[in-house]
Amino acid sequence: MYWNILKRDIKRKKTMNVILLLFTILAAVFVASGLNNVVTVMNGTDYFFEKAGIKDYVLFTQNGDGGVEQILKTSGCVKDYSMEKCIWGTNGDITYQGEKLKVKNNTLLIQSLDTTQFHYFLEDNQELTEIADGEIYITAGSFARNDMHVGDTIRIQMKNTDKTFRVAGEIKDALLGSDLMGNTRFLLSENDFKAYEADKSLEPYLGRIFQVETDDTGTLSAELASATNILFSSERATIRLSYVMDMILAMLVLVLSICLIIVSFVILKFVITFSIREEFREIGVMKAIGIRNAKIRRLYIVKYLAMAIVGGIVGFFVSIPFGNLLIASVSKKMVLGNEGGYLFNAIGVLAVIGLMVGFAYLCTGKVRKLTPVDAIRNGQTGERYHKKTIYRLSKSRARTPFYMALNDILSAPRRFITIVLPFFICSVFMLGVVMVTSTMQSKSMITCFGKESDIYITDPKMMKTVLVDKDQEPVLQENYQAIADELEAAGMPVDKVSMEVWYKYACEANGKLYSVLFQQNTETHTTDYTYEKGTPPQNAYEIAITPMIADQLGVEIGDTVTIDFGTEKRDCVVTALFQTMNQLGKVGRLHEEAPTSMKYSTTMPGFQVDFSDHPDEKEIRTRVKKIKELYGITGVFDAAGYCVDCMGVGDTMDTVCLLLLAITGIVVILVTVLMERSFISTEHGQIALLKAIGFSNRSIFWWHVIRFMLVAGFAEILAVVLTRPITKLWCDPIWAMMGATNVDYYFSPVRIILIYPGIVLAITWIAVSVTAFHIRRIRGTDIVNVE
Amino acid sequence: MANILEVKDLCKTYVIDKRQNNVLRNVNFEVEEGDMVAIMGPSGSGKSTLLYSVSGMDVPTSGTVCFAGRDIAKLSQTELAKVRLDEMGFIFQQMYMMKNLTILDNILLPAMESKKDERSRAEKVAFAEELMRKLSIIEVADNDINEVSGGQLQRACICRSMVNHPKLLFADEPTGALNRAASTEVMDALGKLNREGTTIMMVTHDAKVASRCKRVLYILDGTIKGEYKAPEDENLSDADRERRLQNWLLDLGW
Repeated sequence: MYWNILKRDIKRKKTMNVILLLFTILAAVFVASGLNNVVTVMNGTDYFFEKAGIKDYVLFTQNGDGGVEQILKTSGCVKDYSMEKCIWGTNGDITYQGEKLKVKNNTLLIQSLDTTQFHYFLEDNQELTEIADGEIYITAGSFARNDMHVGDTIRIQMKNTDKTFRVAGEIKDALLGSDLMGNTRFLLSENDFKAYEADKSLEPYLGRIFQVETDDTGTLSAELASATNILFSSERATIRLSYVMDMILAMLVLVLSICLIIVSFVILKFVITFSIREEFREIGVMKAIGIRNAKIRRLYIVKYLAMAIVGGIVGFFVSIPFGNLLIASVSKKMVLGNEGGYLFNAIGVLAVIGLMVGFAYLCTGKVRKLTPVDAIRNGQTGERYHKKTIYRLSKSRARTPFYMALNDILSAPRRFITIVLPFFICSVFMLGVVMVTSTMQSKSMITCFGKESDIYITDPKMMKTVLVDKDQEPVLQENYQAIADELEAAGMPVDKVSMEVWYKYACEANGKLYSVLFQQNTETHTTDYTYEKGTPPQNAYEIAITPMIADQLGVEIGDTVTIDFGTEKRDCVVTALFQTMNQLGKVGRLHEEAPTSMKYSTTMPGFQVDFSDHPDEKEIRTRVKKIKELYGITGVFDAAGYCVDCMGVGDTMDTVCLLLLAITGIVVILVTVLMERSFISTEHGQIALLKAIGFSNRSIFWWHVIRFMLVAGFAEILAVVLTRPITKLWCDPIWAMMGATNVDYYFSPVRIILIYPGIVLAITWIAVSVTAFHIRRIRGTDIVNVE
Repeated sequence: MANILEVKDLCKTYVIDKRQNNVLRNVNFEVEEGDMVAIMGPSGSGKSTLLYSVSGMDVPTSGTVCFAGRDIAKLSQTELAKVRLDEMGFIFQQMYMMKNLTILDNILLPAMESKKDERSRAEKVAFAEELMRKLSIIEVADNDINEVSGGQLQRACICRSMVNHPKLLFADEPTGALNRAASTEVMDALGKLNREGTTIMMVTHDAKVASRCKRVLYILDGTIKGEYKAPEDENLSDADRERRLQNWLLDLGW
């Protein structure tokens, strides 16, 4: 009997069943792939780091080891360490097909595979064990960025050494391969590397990479504070955080799948309620002949169980390639080992099936309310306790299709919630991601990286002089002056050229020693920056720190931290808390007069230029171009460009936005077709009546289209209005992971009010128009056949 | 009086499972302006099919239907819809109305939709109210459609059919779903409209209803078997009129 009822139902409500099945498949696909991807990426970093041989603490130096090796040898907390050599370079040193190599981050390094302690993996996850002389392997992502292929040639011309290599393949690099690190590594044979190492003129660029095995990274970090020439140092957990963007992408898929499940349930509720309402006669008759509620409910639940199982099975198989596609960008650079295999896909699918059937059981509770009398009274009880119509045609100035559309919505708003909810849920999530992307691509995040300036010059060619000639502070000032003079000569009046210099100092707080990175710009004032809490440092011995550093040191505003500046050891008062995404939020800020020495500098993000004529954004963009041409460099940005460069994920987020738009489009089409078909079905009699009394197809068509567009428009307006608060809810914790505790979201009116909702509404318009053509099939004479 | 409707050799055939069903066979008749014609016949004789075919709601298989001098077969669907909206009125057995509109708004709907009607909105509202007053339902103007009786609802349907000043009013079993008292109310209303000049063509199987018409066409197996003209004697009682029609129908095998 169940099979017969199922067969009849499938035949009678073909469109509705197909759409519900599609939603089930979509929900299963997204939950299964989202769950699997989150587990894969979360475990993936650990698995990859283990395979790649990354130890507890890693640090890079340049121009010798700066005393690091001596500290490691004598430190009591170091169990073991390894050291390997590298040579630092920029993309200006490397030529591919006659042009500069395109790279993500312009600090590159060349190394020998033979002496490295790390393990590198090829595209098929096999370990790279040997490199022949004259061959080179490059960090994954370079092939796509440069349209490079195996067998092509690359020329590395550094000072007096010039060699050409045959490209042998790409490598998966655990330490530098993430979006946030993004440094390109070139692996050579030992002989080839020695040729560069032997070049005396390259000595200042010769670096060391140390890997340390320790149980106490805090103490080690503090001990290393006295070492110089450290470019970068970090514990394993922080390096792991550099894959946060990949984690975020996997999380977005999971959040999206939750949205789709909610949408599926809204649709499921509508379809079940609609089916039961339409079958009042059958249900009434079944009750009249004594069939129990539970048995009638079982009839319906069997259908939804069958649908959930079919949708789940299809969803499981689709989720495998779909999930792989979503993490393709991650798996290209990581060796992902999910030991659960497709177990998580299966768990996700089973969860969807269970939820659907449980929900169907709840929704079929309506069966209890129907009585045999409903079968007699055509499903109408005749009871009405409230007045329906509030908008009167006799008082309206609108045309009839518009009037009828608006009147339907105002008369029975609850009926349209099924449309509003899916549209709202998908749109608010999509617009949230669009807002996050716009924020990342705007200058509103500039305070997370430093002070806002007109132009930022980060090109390594410009930075090199400053970086290598350490211990000569006047060089930095001379650079400022030289750049200012050159820009003035090119017609760009300069007010100030400055630079944030990062220093690593040992700090003592609450009796414990820590190593903390500090930023200082001697040309600006600490009062020029934004603080979350407290007052800006007023003198050389006042500091501001991030909440993360405050937690680490166990201090608050007003507490004292002892900083060993190298030249002197002073107690400094914490006067303010600020947010930054530099070093994932683990930094402090020094007063411009603090007794720093370039000897302890670790890195410099770039020159900041402020013009005295306060140019507008258009003029700044023109000047960016001019400066690029003037110095023959590429790393010149305005404030927004600098933010994108710092985060390095602008393009990926754009792709995510488009993916979400596509998914929203699919949901919108499915919901629109389903709802409009059900409207036409329930309003068959009214449409026939209108046709009989002389309404044209056109008028009836517009009635339906306008009604749908009004509801969809309302949902979009609601989504636009609530985008900011809802995005703050789900995105603020993600920013906090990266160090930004109070992000000022950039609301791009063109993208958030016009483009994305506009596209959603255009898709709705097309879907509802095509579906509303079914109205043509209804004839005026149908009025006599309508029950 | 000129003919408002001329039907010549009208045929309507349905094909179901490759079997032909000739519902109407060479039907010929005319309706003059100001006439009130009833079509009677047993169930399945083709009464409703005839009504829908001559009103342009259904497409005849062959033959011609001239409405106000125009062959409706030559009109497009859009033109036909305009003719139905501006020049015809319809009353159905079931009192269909738009669910979310009040009685007055339902009546007004065709007037507001009409582009030919040059009256102002206020004039249209005033006319709808006048019609309601005439048919004694003005007190339910602001009611929802489920807040009135069947008789009131059918009279509201009559008002809706009249709101655009139709040249011809088609009624399909207008009293079929009503009790005797409500039927009388509706027929009184239709009689009043006819006396004021509205041409009416209705399908009914109720001799009492048909006896209030000027002419009765009796249809059997898709062909018109006879035409009855009501006596012009105004002093004749309703019961006598009904008895005479009953006798005529019995002669035809009713």
